[in-house]
Amino acid sequence: MFSEDNKERITKVVEVSRTVLHYAWIPLIIYVGYTRSNPQPSLIKLISPLA
Amino acid sequence: MSSAPSFSEKAGLPDLTPTPSFLEPQPKSSSYLDAIAPLTNTWNRYSAWRESFGLPNPGSTEQLTKEVKGTLATNFIFEGGRADLTKSLSANPAFQVTHSFALGSEAQPASYNFNTVYAKENLMMMGGFDHDGNVNARLNQGWTANSISKLQAQFSSQAGHNMLQMEHDYNGTDYNLNVKAMNLWPTDLTGVYIGSYLQSVTKNLALGVEGLYQRPTPDMSELSTSYIAKYTADKKDWIATALVQPSGIVTTSYWHKLSDKVEVAADLQLIAAPTRRDALATLGVKYELRMAGFRAQVDSTGKVAAVLEQRFAPTLAFLLSGEIDHFKSTAKVGAGVMIETSTLTPEEMGMPPQ
Repeated sequence: MFSEDNKERITKVVEVSRTVLHYAWIPLIIYVGYTRSNPQPSLIKLISPLA
Repeated sequence: MSSAPSFSEKAGLPDLTPTPSFLEPQPKSSSYLDAIAPLTNTWNRYSAWRESFGLPNPGSTEQLTKEVKGTLATNFIFEGGRADLTKSLSANPAFQVTHSFALGSEAQPASYNFNTVYAKENLMMMGGFDHDGNVNARLNQGWTANSISKLQAQFSSQAGHNMLQMEHDYNGTDYNLNVKAMNLWPTDLTGVYIGSYLQSVTKNLALGVEGLYQRPTPDMSELSTSYIAKYTADKKDWIATALVQPSGIVTTSYWHKLSDKVEVAADLQLIAAPTRRDALATLGVKYELRMAGFRAQVDSTGKVAAVLEQRFAPTLAFLLSGEIDHFKSTAKVGAGVMIETSTLTPEEMGMPPQ
């Protein structure tokens, strides 16, 4: 169905997107939540457990 | 006469009203749809005929024992100390972060977890990571009121601990259809596929079937089915469910809401495979009081457990959990605190001013 070359490429794409999601998923949610929040919270309150 | 100049000014401006292109005669539907019109007509008539029975939606297979799981203490027992600090940063759209600390458990080492949720009407994004660097992700996207797609993933720095699950759930008027694909690999289509269908047969009874198709390697596959029955009382105050797997596993559950504050649940699991014969019965009760929640349960392996959640303020709760295994003479004790802070004023959260 797929040639060996394409199989390799697909494996690479999956690996790269997995790594990207691993590191970017939480920052993405925090960014989306932070920018869409109403009212916008302060950054320190967002990150620190104690503030 | 003062209105006259303004009127002429207005006339000089470019016409901002939308051009009524939609008023031009257009074919009522595209030719593609015309081609399958007999099919859609038949489907619509069939749907109307089914709706005429007035059968309720049975709920999804995953939610089959939702009430039982919420009543039994099994999912709420913990060991050691723990603290959950939740911060609501926005109410609409909902955005909150949670820091969880746990330590002192014999089974698990001390841990730190960070969770964040962002949700609006039809989109939910959830993410969490722990101190080992494992990330879990969830994404729910609703398309219409009764059709929702879900994505669930787990990323780990250790090989072999990654997971990806795609799911689609469709709620019809009297049925629920759910398909899942886990760890699907695009080049050879290996993975685990689960499909389930639950259909209301009468006003109270729903019957369903679930198929699990495993394909670990391209030339190896296995299909196993299980059968589901769910009986909901007229007033929805009690629910009985049964799940039968032909390999010899039977799971039955019963949930009864005795009053606004008291719920009881029973769960029985029977395994009668040729190699193993086993049974586990669990009986539990839940009290939901104004400032406290209490769960107690006893099971046939000799375990007695209780979990108390005492709220001192709407934002501060203490948790106490205990479990004694009488047959093994062991015990588990846990204490925790849950603090919820908000940057919002009560009015912003939609509470009436006091």
